Amino acid sequence: MATMSEKPANVIGPTLSRRGFIKAGGILVVGFSFVDPELLRGDSAKPTTFKNSLDPTLPSSWIEIHPDNTVLIRTGKSDFGQGSTFTAYRQIVAEELSVPFDAITTVVSGHTDLTPDGSGAFDFLGHGTPNIRKAAAYTYQALLDVASEKLGVPKDKLSVKDGTVSGGGKSISYGDLVKNQQLKLTIPVKGDLTSIFGLTIEGNPPMKPVSEYTVIGKSFKNSIISTKVAAKETWATDVRLPGMLHARVVHPKTLGSSLVSAGSVDKTKFPNSQVIVKGNLVGVVAPTEWEAIQAADQVAAGTKWSDWKGLPGNAKLYQHLREEADWTSAPIEKSKESKGDVGPALASAHKKHSATYQLSYMKHAPIGPTMAVADVKSDGTVHIYVHNQNPQALRGEIATMLGTTPDHVIVHSYPGPGHYGRSNGGNSGAEDEAVLLSKAVGKPVRVQWTRADDMQWSTQAAAAFSDVQVAIDEKGKMAAYQIDHYMPAMQDDRPVGAVLAGLPTMSAPDVHSGGVTSTVNGLEDPWIYAPVPNVIERGHGTFQVGQKASPIAVGLRDHSMRTPGQFQQNYPRELAISEAAALAGADAIQFRIDHASEERAIGVLKAVRDASGWDTRPSPRHDAVSTGETPVGGRGVSLMLRSGSYWACVCQIAVTPSTGAIVVEKYTVAVDPGIVVNPMQLKRNVEGGAVMGIGHALFEEVMFDESGITTEDWNSYPIPTMADIPEIKVVLLHNPKVGAYGGGSEAANALAAPAIAAALHDATGKVMRRLPMKPAYVQEVLKS
Amino acid sequence: MVTLNVNGVRHEVKAPDDTPLLYVLRNDLELIGPQFGCGLAQCGACAVLVDGKEARSCVTPVASVANQEITTLEGLPARWAKQKGLSAAEAKNTLHPVQQAWIEEQTPQCGVCQNGMMIKATELLESNPKPTLGQIKEAFTTSGPSPNLCRCGTYVAIIEAVQHAATIMAKGR
Repeated sequence: MATMSEKPANVIGPTLSRRGFIKAGGILVVGFSFVDPELLRGDSAKPTTFKNSLDPTLPSSWIEIHPDNTVLIRTGKSDFGQGSTFTAYRQIVAEELSVPFDAITTVVSGHTDLTPDGSGAFDFLGHGTPNIRKAAAYTYQALLDVASEKLGVPKDKLSVKDGTVSGGGKSISYGDLVKNQQLKLTIPVKGDLTSIFGLTIEGNPPMKPVSEYTVIGKSFKNSIISTKVAAKETWATDVRLPGMLHARVVHPKTLGSSLVSAGSVDKTKFPNSQVIVKGNLVGVVAPTEWEAIQAADQVAAGTKWSDWKGLPGNAKLYQHLREEADWTSAPIEKSKESKGDVGPALASAHKKHSATYQLSYMKHAPIGPTMAVADVKSDGTVHIYVHNQNPQALRGEIATMLGTTPDHVIVHSYPGPGHYGRSNGGNSGAEDEAVLLSKAVGKPVRVQWTRADDMQWSTQAAAAFSDVQVAIDEKGKMAAYQIDHYMPAMQDDRPVGAVLAGLPTMSAPDVHSGGVTSTVNGLEDPWIYAPVPNVIERGHGTFQVGQKASPIAVGLRDHSMRTPGQFQQNYPRELAISEAAALAGADAIQFRIDHASEERAIGVLKAVRDASGWDTRPSPRHDAVSTGETPVGGRGVSLMLRSGSYWACVCQIAVTPSTGAIVVEKYTVAVDPGIVVNPMQLKRNVEGGAVMGIGHALFEEVMFDESGITTEDWNSYPIPTMADIPEIKVVLLHNPKVGAYGGGSEAANALAAPAIAAALHDATGKVMRRLPMKPAYVQEVLKS
Repeated sequence: MVTLNVNGVRHEVKAPDDTPLLYVLRNDLELIGPQFGCGLAQCGACAVLVDGKEARSCVTPVASVANQEITTLEGLPARWAKQKGLSAAEAKNTLHPVQQAWIEEQTPQCGVCQNGMMIKATELLESNPKPTLGQIKEAFTTSGPSPNLCRCGTYVAIIEAVQHAATIMAKGR
């Protein structure tokens, strides 16, 4: 019989009804605190905390152990489909505490008032030491201290199995240990809760040796899948508050238009609809969703906007970036791997490769357009119900917009569509608009963007181009490598509704903007070919396209997207390396192995070579052909190091020269993340990234004219369908001696493009140095 | 007033005749399986079965499906139980084999599209209990108003789950 095969964990924490909310049903909190100065080597200065926040220095803000031996964990990171909080995090905590996986019955994530650390839904495994691992390790030490005292057995004579501490012939369960205990442990943290990276746990608590792992490495199921599949999950889009109104926003005509006059609603047709205007923000609210939609259409038709033309249009994008963009305002970044003197080596090259590579703008394109419910109370308290990658950062942005402090803003997190980075800086579009409309009408308001809103008014992954030169010596080795990466600012975290309404936000990307929102183009793609004697890698940054020209300071706003920045830098590098191999008359995988020194890089290359059935030979193939109606096959490879994981990918394609259509037939990827925490979940994440990467490589390009984005739906922004997917083979290289676990969701999407482009070269002898490789563009290259 | 028959239950709905079925299901009947993805019948996130055929509820006027048999994700377990003649006690603890397979194969990532994927899989397996890989790809790509789109790229997991569901269904329970 098909029954529920597993015990689902309560993954949200408080019990919520679908209509109106029931208060959290009294979770028993057993706080215990303990000080062991030996463990506290970090900066334990207490960071600023806000009202409606947990105290991050209290252990119970991270992990609760209950008298019934169940465990609750809290993380500021929201799940976006990676499943890490419901699988890897439970495994990591179970391992460090030595409790069974199933003992961790509750994962509280994202809610700003119920989780301690903030930060975004990225880098879940924290290069092997996520906050939750350290929290568990500290907690374990504190538990041992309590047990030692209680059992009268020295700490080093104690052992723990399945949540029971034993030693000296005595034993006690964690549940009994924590009953009625008032203990002291201060978790040392530093950072800024509402910044993109949130708080970090400091210090170096002892961790369980990898050789003793029993939970990590197993394919535990993701508990939230069961509730989602059974339609028993409450998603952000399901939240309904008493008296809530539905809203749609009428966005400006162009990315630089100002409001001339707002349209009105025909009250005889839509008696309960209201138009709200705040600066250039026009919203329509109504009691039912269908009335809001129809009334908003009517208002949109009657709303007048100024015209604006200030974008280059995508046909002139690269010309604009090369000739008109200001690359002098931001300092040029240089990679730390840069060394030697490339100038003379390039001048005296036996053979030289010199080329420019271009990537278009791409959309994150969540499968569900952004939405949010906001409830601005009469006392100024703001509640936001949303699916967001960085709820604490959102909290800060909303406070800035309203001229208040984060104390009065509470963000409640629910599942929703993958954002792939779009909201990792705190907003995805609808949140601030919902707050402004709720404040205006004094009722809870649900803003739902349309598909067109989501394509045209959200941020996008930045376009980029890179100039590369490679010198090959007489022995066929790379003597010099030079790359200059050019990319507009890749992260604009200003909430767009606040910008339209003319309310305070952080500054638009500028050289002085902090961290990821700066115009400085940092080097994101770690160099793997250490034996190359002369290397220079430079990053050139500038303002977003249209940002300064737009009278409303909008233009083409960018945002980091899955493998951000590194995608834009790895694609040109890896395609150039494949071209250099061809120039040297060498096999593309062997050429990489010959220029790599790191064992793990060589390991993934050899693994992908074996698994893909690669035949060692130079590219292009001896019978490469760039004309005709008969499909011709080719294969290419790519290599990347990201978040502590090494990746190598081989794509085998068939291209029809007469049409330019590329079909990816087989995609093989090998990944060495160090320790594989959960093989099944990692495999699924990699498969998904592979498919997205094929979309990036072949289809995805934001179309825009001089006024705005013309891409508006799934027809004008095609993504892969099931018919587009190749045979996908994932090779996981479990490498415990690394002693840490690397990331596995990013990178997978970035590997396909350079491998497919190299495969096109292999098949046809022609190189296409531009993404996406749409048939029409491929045809142009093959005809040249 | 429109009379709807959803998951075997009759509802009198006050929504205007042209209201898309999706908003009636989600807002009036509190059936949240179908998701809003595009409102344009381009993605499949909102799919339901209407008389056993996949339909896109985001563009289906509610009055056009009055008195037809509508099944949402919430109704899949009962649909299976009825087809197999399971007792009420058995039916209560039973998921549709498609849902079961989706869990076993750990198919969803964000999961927003998976409502439509499971609806499409149910439609396919009810007419073709042993689909080939080509038939599965055809079902999810060309059989409906648009391909069923997944932005997370879970198609491999969907194919494996359809094949697994076919095995469960062949066993009969």
